[in-house]
Amino acid sequence: MGIHQKIIGLFLIASTLAYGQEKACFFQPSLLRASATIAPTRFYMQETTVALIHGFMEYVLEPKISVRGEANFMAPNGLLLFTNSPEKFPRNYASIYAGFGYHLGKKNWKINLHAEPGMVLAEMAQDPYVNVPSRFKWSACPSYLLKAGTSYYFSKYCHFFAEINFSNGWIRKTPLSSVSLAQYGISAGLGFHLMTKKHHE
Amino acid sequence: MKPIFLLLLFFFALQVNAQDQRTFNPAGMLSLGGRTTVSLFNDHKNEMTGTGVGGQFRLRFSDAVNTDWFFDYITSDILNYAHRTDSHIGWSVLFYPINSFDYFRQTAQFKPKFRPYILAGHCFDYSKIEAKDGTNALDGALYAERWSSAVQAGLGTHLELSPKFDISLTGQYMIHLGNHIETDYDFTSNTLSFHEHKGASLAGHLLVTLSFNYKIARLWGFTKR
Repeated sequence: MGIHQKIIGLFLIASTLAYGQEKACFFQPSLLRASATIAPTRFYMQETTVALIHGFMEYVLEPKISVRGEANFMAPNGLLLFTNSPEKFPRNYASIYAGFGYHLGKKNWKINLHAEPGMVLAEMAQDPYVNVPSRFKWSACPSYLLKAGTSYYFSKYCHFFAEINFSNGWIRKTPLSSVSLAQYGISAGLGFHLMTKKHHE
Repeated sequence: MKPIFLLLLFFFALQVNAQDQRTFNPAGMLSLGGRTTVSLFNDHKNEMTGTGVGGQFRLRFSDAVNTDWFFDYITSDILNYAHRTDSHIGWSVLFYPINSFDYFRQTAQFKPKFRPYILAGHCFDYSKIEAKDGTNALDGALYAERWSSAVQAGLGTHLELSPKFDISLTGQYMIHLGNHIETDYDFTSNTLSFHEHKGASLAGHLLVTLSFNYKIARLWGFTKR
């Protein structure tokens, strides 16, 4: 069997599955979903783009309301496009957020809105031009995250998601002016979910 | 003394009776939430807008009275020569002047609604002001810290998006009662010094807080079906 026949065969199987599950609604209260992905993020005040390792977990409390936690870590060698000024950008960066989500739309295709307060942990050079090597210090910085996205629940255990986010905060523990963490980023991919309680229809 | 006691007992009995006949009563409702805070109009010289993060739980005592028990961690800059960290742990009483019960009675589809409130409360505060460059060659670490108490009052509103979930926006002025730390920066020699003033001072700031709350349990009372 050639590659074309295999691809067509896969599409046929996928379309059959989609048709068979057309009436099932996978997004319901007690749904627990999670995923991890690489999220390109632009720190536009620092003119720096970073690949963040992004993971989230979300639990649906009500038909429109969910609670969600997420974390971002700067990937090793994750500075994709960056400034060479060490006083402008942290050497290490991680953030954690927890908040609520609001879900619009019917059945399995949802528009998601999230607002999440959180913390950024960042390691900044303290005297980049005085001592070599420079001293570094970690600091905890208040931050918030706003997110909009869409999700399509195509099977009992899997969904696709695509999100755009904005977050902001300030690293104050620096030798010079505080460093803005204003950023926007995207994340998308395959997510996994399961229903934690039985629903009687 | 005895007539006062009898009068109090009478009012208490009336209240119990009133609550007994009501089908729905929100007393005992416990909510859990997260919050983000902006600190504005700080009294400290040259202090700029601060941003914060925190958490809270909310315990309702009656139809008209609710309470917030919160923790906030707020950071701000003092121009570009120092930065300040504030930790608040405290409580506020929320009073609902428009006290309609509609959403507890609601049998049809829920409609989001605003519920305004007046709040007042008290908190404990830890503040630390650090020099931007962190150390002074002669004196070592350059910072000053203080513990104080504060009172706050303001206005706010819940936006109830479901019977259990709400977003709340609050504006409140917080006055710190206690020692005051003053920073002096000499721009010609680039030196920073701290001065602590003993005794009460009425330094304060305006806090605007956005919080997200979800009702997780009812600690007392029950709903009759």
